Order: sequence, then structure tokens, then C-alpha cells
Amino acid sequence: MAAFWQKRKSDRRVCVFGIDGMPHTLLRRLMDQGVMPRAREIFGDRLLRMRVTLPEVSAVSWSSFMTGSNPGTHGIYGFTDFDRGSYRIRFPAFSSLKTSTMWDRLGEKGIRSIVINQPSTYPAREIPGILISGFVAVDLNRAVWPPDLARKLRQMGYQIDLDTQKAARQPDYLFRELAATLRGREKLLEQLWDKEEWDFFEIVVTGTDRLQHFQFDAVEDPSHPNHSYCLDYYEKVDGFLGRVYDRFHSAGGGGDGAGFFALSDHGFTRIRQEFYVNAWLVQEGLLSFRTSEPKSFEEADPASKALCLDPTRIYLHRKGRFPNGSVEEEEAEELVLRIREKALALRFDGEPVFRGVFRPEEIYSGPEIGSAPDLVLLARDGFDVKGWMRTGPAFGRSHFTGMHNWDDAFLWTGGDVPGEFDITSLASIIEKRLTAEG
Amino acid sequence: MGSKGFTLWFTGLSGSGKTTLARQVEQILRDRGMKVEILDGDVVRTNLSKGLGFSKEDRDTNIKRIGFVCHLLSRNGVVAIASAISPYREVRDYNRRMIGRFVEVYVKCPIDVLTKRDVKGMYAKALAGEIKGFTGVDDPYEEPLRPEILVETDKETEEESVQKIVRSLELMGYVPGADASGETSEEEEEKIRQRLRDLGYI
Repeated sequence: MAAFWQKRKSDRRVCVFGIDGMPHTLLRRLMDQGVMPRAREIFGDRLLRMRVTLPEVSAVSWSSFMTGSNPGTHGIYGFTDFDRGSYRIRFPAFSSLKTSTMWDRLGEKGIRSIVINQPSTYPAREIPGILISGFVAVDLNRAVWPPDLARKLRQMGYQIDLDTQKAARQPDYLFRELAATLRGREKLLEQLWDKEEWDFFEIVVTGTDRLQHFQFDAVEDPSHPNHSYCLDYYEKVDGFLGRVYDRFHSAGGGGDGAGFFALSDHGFTRIRQEFYVNAWLVQEGLLSFRTSEPKSFEEADPASKALCLDPTRIYLHRKGRFPNGSVEEEEAEELVLRIREKALALRFDGEPVFRGVFRPEEIYSGPEIGSAPDLVLLARDGFDVKGWMRTGPAFGRSHFTGMHNWDDAFLWTGGDVPGEFDITSLASIIEKRLTAEG
Repeated sequence: MGSKGFTLWFTGLSGSGKTTLARQVEQILRDRGMKVEILDGDVVRTNLSKGLGFSKEDRDTNIKRIGFVCHLLSRNGVVAIASAISPYREVRDYNRRMIGRFVEVYVKCPIDVLTKRDVKGMYAKALAGEIKGFTGVDDPYEEPLRPEILVETDKETEEESVQKIVRSLELMGYVPGADASGETSEEEEEKIRQRLRDLGYI
């Protein structure tokens, strides 16, 4: 049929292979150990370590990737946010993005994108091409654009994600379903790759993040009974990566790999201690609740000065911002300084917990900076910071073994990357490549 | 709007693609939570209209019977999809008046293309004179004058025709659009909350 979309020269195509939460350090090690031979062959010694935006969670990182901007511009500061003027927690949707994605911008130039399993795009909306949302998508019917593609996916048995509750309790289920979802994504890619017109193709593997949340100890420890299962999964991801790379080149993707991008949205490392910010704020006398087991910030005492949303965002309990807020403007500066000082002074077994505590203007820019938290914490590796609604001890452990980190994501592309770059730099590199005259 | 029944009537020559398109549209409407029933001309002739032949009178009776069942289904909130050659305009219009919420889809394809396609081998037999009274060959087909939807299966892909039909139904208000609110419902939020808990975010 006559193509509505302007057909691009094939050497100007771009393919993005996302590996959610894959740390640069671990990837390098698995390449060197021969667990990921295709990655070693493709990436060679050009694997780059990449920083992401804060907080270092998928909701923020992938939004930064897809828009090419930081949270001060795209407006997504976490998986959750407060409803304006309320304590009610909402879950920012794809429609909450305050700026356009690269797929929208490319579409204006007649460039068509196919995007599979992209976190933070739920509910799916129209993009110039095809979109299949990833985490936190819960209903396949609303995770697909164009919507009628959902039927095909259902017929294929495509599953968006595994049952995370079950995965936490049953490692055998986790490993089985990781493999099954990966197969499903590859099957879908095969369906769309040749049958659809595209200039930009992206697929994200999210099983790595799931595995690492629950089994990072097993990933790292060769004597762990699940270690070989973990390696087996990385081998599968490696095979998938290799096949996508080969496909891209056989489709005329350019022998130098300049149009091929592989990246993760944050790093991962082993948890030494969890740190519960709200419990700490209670200890510091900055937060109190009217009930003994609070379920919501609505139960916070009006005299509270600060509260924390997942994972590292501290909001002053400002008058005007929250219904019972009590912090006046003139008090805010002193409070920010006090909390920052206390956090930076915090020690566990003599070691500092935080490597940085930032004000919005230090890490964000753009028109949405007004909805940023008052402070963002950046922990040292090993200290997993949680914004859980919790009182009691500020340090503890749960069943999780892996935590995200900020500066150990990876990037590989055969093309040029500026000397100073982070995850927000990639959209413009991709857009430039796809729209350049040639 | 979308919860009310209506009749989607596919008309066109044999082999033009009526049944294929009807099945595709059926699935999409089901996916959108609608109750749907298909009345296929060929199937109906094996039960509801068993014994009827291909004289004009019998053909009219067959189409009126299908129309009557569509009428019953439509007024009870079901989307009735009829797929039948239904060659005579007068009877189609009779059904339209009876049913009210009636959308006619003309599945158009030139006879020379159909003769070449001839999936069931019927055109060859009709042209060879082995079958008498074959619509489009030696029996008339009266094209709809103002069908609500026109699809041309010699010019469009199956997917394009399906999209055209569904989009037209959306625009006419018979079918709810795929939810484009962009917001998550309370039920979805509860599931999201649970997933985020499972992964230790909240």
C-alpha cells in the first residue's frame, strides 16, 4: 500500500536495545567472563558508563531518555507524586509528561517509530508508529497503540510483565517467567520488524531489573544456589541482543553500528542496608503521625516539617502545598539547610550514607521545577534509600538484595557521543541521526 | 452510546471479503467490551433458512429472516453483524427501516477482480454455466446508493478496511473509542500500587 510515512534511507535507521537496570560494571564483568559473548563482540572496549537523572528509578530515567530532558522539564519525579494540594498519592501516567517525546518529534518529520516494552508510557497514547507500554502497564488493552493491536498480542500470549509478588517468593517462578517474557518480546519483535515500516525501533528488556531486585546476591555470589540461573538469564539476554544487532545490520543498519544504541536506565548494586527516610525524619523530630501505624500522609501531624516520597524525595510540609502544611516560606531555607546537613552527617558503622543532597536548582532545569521536591538524596552504593511510610528504626533489611544506583548505567553506540553526556543527551543524538540530510 | 445495540450489515458480491472483515470487526468490538453476534449468510442457510433456494423470493425471505434476528439482537443491546450478499436494495432498506440502528457496509470489489480471485471456485462454475442465478454473473446485484461505510477490497488492505469500519463506527457514536483518556482508573491504580510495593518502591 502507499506508505503514508516517508520511507527513510535504510542507513539512517536507528535501533535501541534497552536493558533495564543493567549496570556497566556487571555488564563489563559478564562480557569478560564469557557469559555475554555477543555483547563483548559488539561493544568491545567502547562500552561507556553513563549517569542518569535523579532519582535513579525507571519512571524518571526512561522519561528523561524518551524526551531528552530532565525532570524539571518533563515533570516526572518518580513512580508516585502528590496530587496538587493534597496528600493523595497519584501515579504519573504517560499523559503526565509535560513535554514531547522524541517519537512525537520524529513523527512530525515523517519518521515512524516502533517501541516495545517502554516503561513509563502507560496508558499508551498515539505515537507516530507503534507503542507497547512496559512497567507499570497493568492492562494490555490500554498498553498498546494502535489499540487494536492488543488482540494480536493477546493471541501471541504476549505478557507485559511477570507477577512481581510471586517472583519475590518463588525463584523458580521468577526464572521461568523471565525466560518466557523475554521469548515473548523477541517473538513480537520478529512480527513487527519486517512487516511494519519503521525508521526507529526500540525494545526494552525489563527482566534484568526484576532479577536484580530479588536476586542480586545470587548474581554476584558464585556459590549461591541460584547463581547459574542468573547467568543463564544474562546469556539469553545476550543472545537476544546479538540477534537484534544482526537483524539491524542485515537490514542495512550501517556496518559501523552508528545507528545502534544499547543502554540501561540506571545501575544496580548489592544492598548493604536499607534506609527509611520517613522513619529517620520521625527520629529527627521533623515528622510525626497522629496514628501509630500510618498508612497515608493524611495522618501526618500538621506540625510536621518534612516528608519523603519514594525513594529519595524530601518535601517540606509547606503551607499552601499541603492541606495541613505548616512550614512558612521564611522557615523553609533554614529547614532545607538543616535537613541537608543532618543527612550528610549521617553514618552507618562509621561510613557516610549519602554522597549528596541536592536542591532542585542544582540538578533540574525547566518549567516544571516548581513541582520538584525540596531536596533529593543521593545515597552511596550499598545504602538503599526507601520512601516507605514507616516509623521505627531508620536502618534495616528486607528480602530485597539489589538496589539502583545513579552513575553505573551503560551506553554503547558505534556513533559519536559528546565528551560530557548523560541519559538526557541521547534523544538529540538519535534525532540528529534520523533527520540529517544524506 | 456504545452500550446500545445496532446492526452492522455487510453487503457485497461473493468473495468480496464480507465474512473476513466481519470477523475482524467482531473481535475488535468484543475487545472493547461489546456483546457481538455474527449472522453469516452461508451459515444461516444451513439452519434458520434451511430449505430456501436462490429465487428472488427465497433470497428476500432469507435476508428478511436475518434482518429480523438482527432486529431482536440490536434492541437487546447486542451488536448484530450480518454478512450476506443481500443483492436487492429494497430488502436491505426494509431491514434498515425495521431495525433503525442500522449501518450498511458496502464491501465493493469489481467482478473481474473477483473472477480472478475466485477463492471458492464459484465464479468459474457460474461463468461456465454450471451454476445458474449467480449474483454478479447472471443475477443482479443492486449496489447500495448511500451506504454508511464503503470499503473497496481491491484497493485497500484488510487492515485498512477494518480500521475504516471501526473508525466510522466510533465517529457515528456506535462504538466507544479505545480509551484515550490517558488517565489510570482507580482499579488500575490499585494494581500499580501493588506492583510498586512488590518491587520495594513504596
